Amino acid sequence: MANVVLDKVVKRFGDTEVVAGIELTVRDREFCILVGPSGCGKTTTLRMIAGLEEVTAGDIRIGGESVTYKAPRDRDIAMVFQSYALYPHMTVRKNLSFALELRGLPKQEIARRIDEVANIIGLTPLLQRKPRQLSGGQRQRVAVGAALCRQAGVLLFDEPLSNLDAKLRVHMRTELKRLHQQVKSTMVYVTHDQVEAMTMGDRIVIMNGGRIIQVGTAMEVYDRPATRFVAGFIGTPPMNFFDGELRAAVTLPGGLELPVPRPDLQAKAGRKVVLGLRPEHIYLHANGRQNVSKVPATIDVVEPLGHRTILTARSPAGLLQLEAEAMPGLKPGDNVDLFFDLERAHLFDQADETAL
Amino acid sequence: MNAPTPGGKAAALRTRLPFSEREAPFGYALVLPAILYLTAFIAYPFAMSVWLSLTDAQAGAQKWNYVGMDNYSKIDNYDLVANDFVLFDGKDEEAKAFAAAKKDGKVVTTPDGDRFKASLQVAGHDVPLVALKDEGDATYVATTILQDLDWQAHGGKVVAHSADSPLGFGNYGDRGEAKKAEKESLLVKAKTQLKANGTGVQQDPNFILSVKNTLKYTFGTEIIKLFFGIPCALLLHRKFRGRQLLRGLLVIPWVIPIAISGQAWLWILDSTYSVINWWLVHAGVITPQNILNFRGNPDLAMLSLVVINVWRGFPFTTVVILAGLTSIPDEILERARLDGTNALQRFAYVMAPMVRPILMVSLLFSVVFSFTDFNTIWIITRGGPYDQTQMLATYAYQVGVNAGYLGKGAAISLFLFPIMAVTVFGMLQSLRRENM
Repeated sequence: MANVVLDKVVKRFGDTEVVAGIELTVRDREFCILVGPSGCGKTTTLRMIAGLEEVTAGDIRIGGESVTYKAPRDRDIAMVFQSYALYPHMTVRKNLSFALELRGLPKQEIARRIDEVANIIGLTPLLQRKPRQLSGGQRQRVAVGAALCRQAGVLLFDEPLSNLDAKLRVHMRTELKRLHQQVKSTMVYVTHDQVEAMTMGDRIVIMNGGRIIQVGTAMEVYDRPATRFVAGFIGTPPMNFFDGELRAAVTLPGGLELPVPRPDLQAKAGRKVVLGLRPEHIYLHANGRQNVSKVPATIDVVEPLGHRTILTARSPAGLLQLEAEAMPGLKPGDNVDLFFDLERAHLFDQADETAL
Repeated sequence: MNAPTPGGKAAALRTRLPFSEREAPFGYALVLPAILYLTAFIAYPFAMSVWLSLTDAQAGAQKWNYVGMDNYSKIDNYDLVANDFVLFDGKDEEAKAFAAAKKDGKVVTTPDGDRFKASLQVAGHDVPLVALKDEGDATYVATTILQDLDWQAHGGKVVAHSADSPLGFGNYGDRGEAKKAEKESLLVKAKTQLKANGTGVQQDPNFILSVKNTLKYTFGTEIIKLFFGIPCALLLHRKFRGRQLLRGLLVIPWVIPIAISGQAWLWILDSTYSVINWWLVHAGVITPQNILNFRGNPDLAMLSLVVINVWRGFPFTTVVILAGLTSIPDEILERARLDGTNALQRFAYVMAPMVRPILMVSLLFSVVFSFTDFNTIWIITRGGPYDQTQMLATYAYQVGVNAGYLGKGAAISLFLFPIMAVTVFGMLQSLRRENM
């Protein structure tokens, strides 16, 4: 059992509150992703779990036991750092065995673990090399291997893929996810990349300004964002937002009236709202769908991706992006009618930005 | 390659950029001043001193004569000397009895072929000592061993030792002759030595002393600098209030010219006004009658030089090690903490190996700095008292410039070169191995 519980954890640097009393339970063997923009406190949270950063207030428990005031080496954790943090003067084998030797494990056990881990992540041919003789991806693997060898209850990852090139990152993403299915550790993974967050995690913890904004599976945070921030942060290209006013319909600038089918909001008429609509929910053709609103627009930019095409268009309500099929046959300057799928529209309060 | 070009024949002919656009000539032009400088101020003086060292050049002499390696080593003759004569070798009690019977011992000299053999008769033993051509000499040597030397019985051996100077066994023209004489004249086991007399610098006891002093000064100070530098750097590596200020203050000894700080040291080490003596007297450690004469006592003079060199040089060592420590990424030290190291293990297994390459560079600079140091010695002791703190640099100056023997001075200063070259080469090699 190695669940991680953060109980009203606060971190202040001087007067700056970096982590503002977060509460989170990471379940045993869960792959939990902390995601958010830079400065949101996710790395500080991870470092507090690791014991590299002192906790200002609150309690951290690993496997039911409080570790708030324990030295890093006495917590049941291993960590993979952003810069890999390999010992440059040691061979790969020594990098893997160092922590185990310090803990006084018997030689055969160390050799067994190294062989096992080296097999799993394909390090066997590299064991005698020094880190500087390895490529970025290989170093990354060694860093992960060193953490795995520890067989710690909790594995912490601090943006481990951000120093890799795009192709390798996608590959390592899959590999890490497969790894999680093989090893028995709980994983807490910090990233600023929402694609990593969406694809890898069992659960995603979205942070902003030192607070947890929403916790949920990838589909939960995608389909039911708790705030405008989550809605904008998750998904590429990002959700389109239009400021408007809630009346019988939602009135957008440019005189657009969108009859959003939300009878539950009758009571809140007159309120200033933000209407959010994902790019894949704006269509070029109505195709007989119910609850779509026609909005005239002019094509601005065409970005073909191969399987889809991203269109940027100017509408009376403002600039917007939509996803169309591969070959829409449009060019900049073309006037088109767009169809907003109001079934899929999100409404947020303009003042506190929470979902309505 | 041979496809016709649109520019036609004229364009095809031009295979290089115009001269003014090429990079190579510009590069050579930029390098030229450095080459001229190195030739005029490094290569030429070096070649000149090599040439000087092969001549009998003296200040004011009209003509220099080529003398080959005479300045380096020129042996005129050898003195054969011996000490620590083994008079008895046997059982422990017998040896003690032998030594105790010293006062009743007798010297007997008898003719032996064309020589006279002097023997020692002690406690019933007859010990042949020497066989010399002159009867008086033989008797004299044996009597000296009997009466003047100190007999020590130890481990079944009785050894006669001369505390002040070894006994002389004649002066010989060459090594072979001396070796032959040693075999014929010495009948007991003894420590013998051939002392070469001559006019080359290697035959000059002061030169030998200055080589020893230079090595002591260089490597002694280096070890002390590391001893202080490493803890100091580790302390300054920690974050605390006033760290920047302290780092700035630290390098003051290094940046003050030694000509200025040397004057302060002269006062500190003054024979009459020394502040160290003042403290020691007031602390009751010494009395005013036997205050320390720092620059008058050879050992204290050497110690003073070492202290001043360390005082000047250790900030550099510290700063370099500090730079090495700072270059270690935080994440590596954090990983080491997670891996389970304590502070000491972190230093031994992670920081020290990572700092080592830069430490080698600092050692290299520091060794060259101490090895070639002239200023400190010249300002503080001038090689004194009576040449006991001469180093190669000061002694070369003393002989070559002050005494005017340019050739010998050049020879002394060139002795630095091979030692230095080997040291630097060795250090660079180990540095390169490190980076493999």
